[in-house]
Amino acid sequence: MPSAEDIRQRIEAAIPGASVEVEDYTGGGDHFSATVTAAAFAGLTRIQQHRLVYDVFGAEIGGPIHALALKTSPATGREHAASGDDEAATSIPTP
Amino acid sequence: MSASQFEPIPMMSSERQPATPASDESNPIRAAISEAIGEHKVILFMKGTPEAPACGFSARTVAMLQSLDAPFAAVDVLPDPRIRQELSAISSWPTIPQLFVDGELVGGCDIVTEMYESGELAQLL
Repeated sequence: MPSAEDIRQRIEAAIPGASVEVEDYTGGGDHFSATVTAAAFAGLTRIQQHRLVYDVFGAEIGGPIHALALKTSPATGREHAASGDDEAATSIPTP
Repeated sequence: MSASQFEPIPMMSSERQPATPASDESNPIRAAISEAIGEHKVILFMKGTPEAPACGFSARTVAMLQSLDAPFAAVDVLPDPRIRQELSAISSWPTIPQLFVDGELVGGCDIVTEMYESGELAQLL
């Protein structure tokens, strides 16, 4: 069972220069959320950015890793992605 | 609740059962998924149904679409694991939910959330 630290190291190893924060948000070793900032994302669509990260784990996503929530952004110097969490929690309607 | 908000699409009719887990060419489930993506402007592949989502990410995505009053078709991937396998093979996207608009993968819950917050989702729909 991977730890948040394992996930972080694997993303950083696969995407050179990436700055990665990972949280195991259930504590169960299978639901993670990651914020990834990397120059490699520049010029890519969000889909392409997320695919780069998903590709690190291949078939483990949906297998041992049940969920990997992602926030990605190119390294622009603006900490856009890192500050968005609280807003996200309050502005999404609950069913 | 309201039937006009979504349109459940069964992927499990008996004529769609392949005899073998097949190749690209003779694969009724893959063909049915591609057809559904092509036929519906907005289609969400999710776990459970809009009334009874079976996963928090699917529930959030449904809630965002409904809050924009966007009509959408919905496909439950849970009845048969092959639906999910074939969908991910088509889209090269490993997770559920998956939102398609005009035949293109928009993304999963995270991307839809970012686009919802920025107003891009409302524009796209």
